Amino acid sequence: MKRIFKIYTPFINAGMQETATYRVNWVFYILGSVLGCFVSYFIWHAVFLSGSGETMNGFSLPQMIVYIFLIFLTSTMIGSDAAWAVGEEVRDGSIAMRLIKPVSYNATFLFQELGNKLLTEMFLVVPLIAGLEIVRTVIVGRVEFSVVNLLIYLCSCVLAYLINFFFNICFGFLAFVIKYLWGANMMKNCIVGFLSGAIIPLSFLPETLGRIFMLLPFASLNYTPVMIYMGVYQGTELLYYIGLQVFWALFFFGLSKLLWVVSVRRLSVQGG
Amino acid sequence: MKHIRRLFRIHRIFVVQELKRMMEYKGDFIVGVIGFLMVQCSNLLFLWIIFNNIPNLLGWSLNEVVFIYGFSLIPKGIDHLFFDNLWAIGHFTVRKGDFDKYLTRPVNTLVHVLFEKLQIDALGELIMGIALVCVSLPQLQIEWSVFKVLLGIAAVFFATFIFTGIKIITASVAFWKKRSGNIIYMVYMFNDFAKYPVTIYNEVIKNLITYIIPFAFTAYFPALYLLTGENPLYNVGMTVLMSLALMSLGVFVWHRGIRAYESAGS
Repeated sequence: MKRIFKIYTPFINAGMQETATYRVNWVFYILGSVLGCFVSYFIWHAVFLSGSGETMNGFSLPQMIVYIFLIFLTSTMIGSDAAWAVGEEVRDGSIAMRLIKPVSYNATFLFQELGNKLLTEMFLVVPLIAGLEIVRTVIVGRVEFSVVNLLIYLCSCVLAYLINFFFNICFGFLAFVIKYLWGANMMKNCIVGFLSGAIIPLSFLPETLGRIFMLLPFASLNYTPVMIYMGVYQGTELLYYIGLQVFWALFFFGLSKLLWVVSVRRLSVQGG
Repeated sequence: MKHIRRLFRIHRIFVVQELKRMMEYKGDFIVGVIGFLMVQCSNLLFLWIIFNNIPNLLGWSLNEVVFIYGFSLIPKGIDHLFFDNLWAIGHFTVRKGDFDKYLTRPVNTLVHVLFEKLQIDALGELIMGIALVCVSLPQLQIEWSVFKVLLGIAAVFFATFIFTGIKIITASVAFWKKRSGNIIYMVYMFNDFAKYPVTIYNEVIKNLITYIIPFAFTAYFPALYLLTGENPLYNVGMTVLMSLALMSLGVFVWHRGIRAYESAGS
């Protein structure tokens, strides 16, 4: 364990330095992305004004606000560029440089990205959660924030990140087969966005469809952590969904190992 | 006149070159178009599910919302199709020093940059926009006249250059700061607000997207004129004005930026 840690610390450092260099750029990127939340907020605001009841499919307006911003926070936290990075390395051949080193191919990506995230997430989680909870307290008129839920939420996000990372590694190996990863990546993000509840809460879908989506790995990415934060899942239900997350994380971990073995045989790097 | 004819010829040469490149990667281009189509479809699905829960959105029917949404995609798609190269300026062309090549050619740098690339993926947005307008039109009682059609076409044309103008201004920041890709991104993302009726927003957002980053004139206002026939002077006239103002400012900032441009040492 100590040895593993020693090997991969440089990758974490590299990831952190990478982020620190482009921090201004990152701030603009986040500001641009958060605008989408405000668009959703105004749409839902108008929807609740136009609807008849106080709640809609189990959501009140303050809950919906929490949902919109937490979905954004969760997607940013668990976001992974692995598919893209793997695809690019396959295409330009720099994958060869990683292959000659006595480290695990997937793990180098994982630790580099973790370094990235350690920095960015501290700057995102604290202000966003604090701001959101202040707004919610003002609107609702009482404190609904729960530290326990926040902590379980963060653990659930770690699991969600692992699922997403290994899923993306698997997807990145597609670059061995198809050349155009950019468009395929966009399609993937779109489908995952919908299936994970990022576009609309899964409870708004027809019941059977919603139930099927809950079993798929994508609900574990985004919907499950957010529901945990909001305190919807309690007791055995909570354990069930965390268990499901663990299952999917292991599943994609195994699949990525398998695909690695299969695809590295097909790899041919030109030149040097 | 001769000058303009020359520009058109240059554009044709660049486009033919791009089309040749594209034919090499046919599969890529199909995947890209489908990708963009799917992103729009998921947004539509969102609207449709929402409208299953409410009779109307603050007085707007589903058809009206779809019409405005579809209209917004047309100028956005045209700008995306022809002038996508500006993103590259902000992201890496300037930073890597590759901008030098534009300075050595006997064409205006801005014209060269704008003409150079054709982003075929944008057809996804464009097709979707036209389809949505066509689907929602029969259900809307709109009185058409030749004048209205002409104004509608003019509105699309000028709205396109609102996008382009904003992109030129933000991309130019790279001449001073080396990269501005995420600044373009941040400003560009405001167009998400313009896809929906502006009346659902509060005053701050409303004023922001009307007067500061005037994306509201790329979709809501001209679409409102087409829907109701009201106030063409403001709804379409301001679109033209904003477009001309942004393009002039863009050309000005761009050329100031080139004076500040220092190539990357390598």
